[in-house]
Amino acid sequence: MIKFGKGNLRIPKWTRPVYAVAGGMTDFRKKYPEKKLEELTMMAFRMMLEENDLKMDPLEIKSLINFACYGEFADHFQDQLLCEAKVHDYLGLDLLFNIGVKTGGATGGSTILSAASMVASGMADCCLALGWERMDEVITWTGNYYISTAACKDFETRLARNYASYYAPMARRFQEMYGVDERVRAEIAVKNRGYACNSPFSQQPGKHTIEEVLAGEIVSDPLRFLECCAMSVGSAAMLLCTEELAYKLTDKPVKLYTAGGSHTLRTGDRRPMEIPLLPHETAGDYEKLYKDMEKQKGRWPGFESFGATRFAAWLCYRMAGINNPIEDLDLIETHDAFTISDLQTYGDVGLTLYGDEQEYVRSGDCYLKNPKTGKQGKCPSNLSGGLLGSMHAVGATGIFSATEIMWQLQGKYDKFHGDPKMWQRFGKKKPADWESLQIQNNPKKGCYVSHAGVGSHVTVGVLEKAW
Amino acid sequence: MNETVKLNTTKTKVTKEGNVWVIDLPRFSGDSGTHHHTLGLLTPYFAGLTEGKLMATRCVNDNCPISRGKGELWLPPRADCPDCHQPMVWEEIKNPAGEIFSYTFVERGGMGLEIECPYYQIDVLLPGVCTIVKSYLSTRNRKIRIGDKVKAKFRTGLDATNTCLDLYWELGG
Repeated sequence: MIKFGKGNLRIPKWTRPVYAVAGGMTDFRKKYPEKKLEELTMMAFRMMLEENDLKMDPLEIKSLINFACYGEFADHFQDQLLCEAKVHDYLGLDLLFNIGVKTGGATGGSTILSAASMVASGMADCCLALGWERMDEVITWTGNYYISTAACKDFETRLARNYASYYAPMARRFQEMYGVDERVRAEIAVKNRGYACNSPFSQQPGKHTIEEVLAGEIVSDPLRFLECCAMSVGSAAMLLCTEELAYKLTDKPVKLYTAGGSHTLRTGDRRPMEIPLLPHETAGDYEKLYKDMEKQKGRWPGFESFGATRFAAWLCYRMAGINNPIEDLDLIETHDAFTISDLQTYGDVGLTLYGDEQEYVRSGDCYLKNPKTGKQGKCPSNLSGGLLGSMHAVGATGIFSATEIMWQLQGKYDKFHGDPKMWQRFGKKKPADWESLQIQNNPKKGCYVSHAGVGSHVTVGVLEKAW
Repeated sequence: MNETVKLNTTKTKVTKEGNVWVIDLPRFSGDSGTHHHTLGLLTPYFAGLTEGKLMATRCVNDNCPISRGKGELWLPPRADCPDCHQPMVWEEIKNPAGEIFSYTFVERGGMGLEIECPYYQIDVLLPGVCTIVKSYLSTRNRKIRIGDKVKAKFRTGLDATNTCLDLYWELGG
């Protein structure tokens, strides 16, 4: 049993507000031999400075930066320690200070959290958050081994050397506990890979069918190939600053709130606890769930839920004044490394109650156009294509997700995804059937989840339109 | 496909530093490319497996805010209690038997996997243990379900690998 002490549940209180004003990214590919890693980070950095309609010259904006936070998941992939130093020098930011951030799959989100803390505390007025991963120097199965070393080397890694095999037992347990139809998991893969078809940044867009997903080869039962994200190469960047600077730099500043949670690396070590309730939930909402869990020897968070995600949302919603996520949030980017993690997350972040995740997906509210009603879903998810369709260049991922949310709030989906020149830049042709996934009806708030391990580190961020 | 899962690994070299096992984990070729990884205070667990014993730890500190001196067993074990930070004590689980809490049928492992694919990776719920043990099943030709009974088996003596792979499970109560 985990019990919280007085200080453990303090809601973060920043000394001054933090704003996101610009983002940039490369496209994402399985292999990227055309460019060295530093050259890829320069692509993201330049897009951030030059293409976000900022009201100053790019080099003048660069001269405002006074701190940099860099995200990279694993030194193994490039066999390069302290890559941060190489990137920082290449971007021409010496002698400014920089720090490297590493929290597994949540590295991108943690990099934003670190950069935001710099601005909130006064350490910086203008801070760069930039992340990357280069996973193409080794073959996929060696890459799988490297990633699996994020599990416990004494008690877990030797049991699979493949991270899908640590998510699969969670998928199995979740499926049996809540009677999940595997077609619902497949639907998530179809939706997110389908959305990726409209993004020039996407690595594995595809118009698949549920039957195609279910007919695919199994990686680790019950997860099939199209239910797993791929290894990526690429970079993403975001510029954070103070309120005063934000309004000088842009007509469309976006306010940022973010917090994190952690939970044990070994899923089996998770001791039961009471569900921390989000602002709109009551203890009565979960009376039946607790009884159902008892029948199946279940426990919370067990294998079914991510305690770290719930805790991060618990803190972040209170920072951001989110009283009921399904009413207050206009869109979300989940960390859909696997279909199951997308499904699990809807309960963790309170878009639906725990146990009702499958029904939430079936409701159609996670679609831009709800298939049931033909209208915009209440909280469309992963319009970027997510990790399943677009990318998981791990250190960049949370920054990619946050940037896509920021662009949506700024009404810039079409600018970054619909311009034929953007497709040409990455050697692609804009599809003839390209569709705009710009969310309508004046979106005000969006959320992103950046998630590591089997939930060992998670950050949740809320972005809010501030003009 | 054989019914029983086989390992394709060699015995891990152990160096004893007093009571502690330090195991060799080769990263690249030769002695100079080998990590010498200590099992530290958890040595009794790994040494126990090679003798057919499943060793766990328990907090017995009366002042522990959670265990109150009567903690449940931890498996994997921990030398120190996470709630009161005091040393835990060792205890053997006799004739370990439990049930499958969750599982996956691993069709593809990553590079260097020492277990022959495919096989069942299982999570085992054991009475009196507050954690859920991740391990693997010797049988692979049968469908299994959550709740199936399993009992512990060990690789001992010459068969021992000196790693967590020395614990595995077979179906049956």
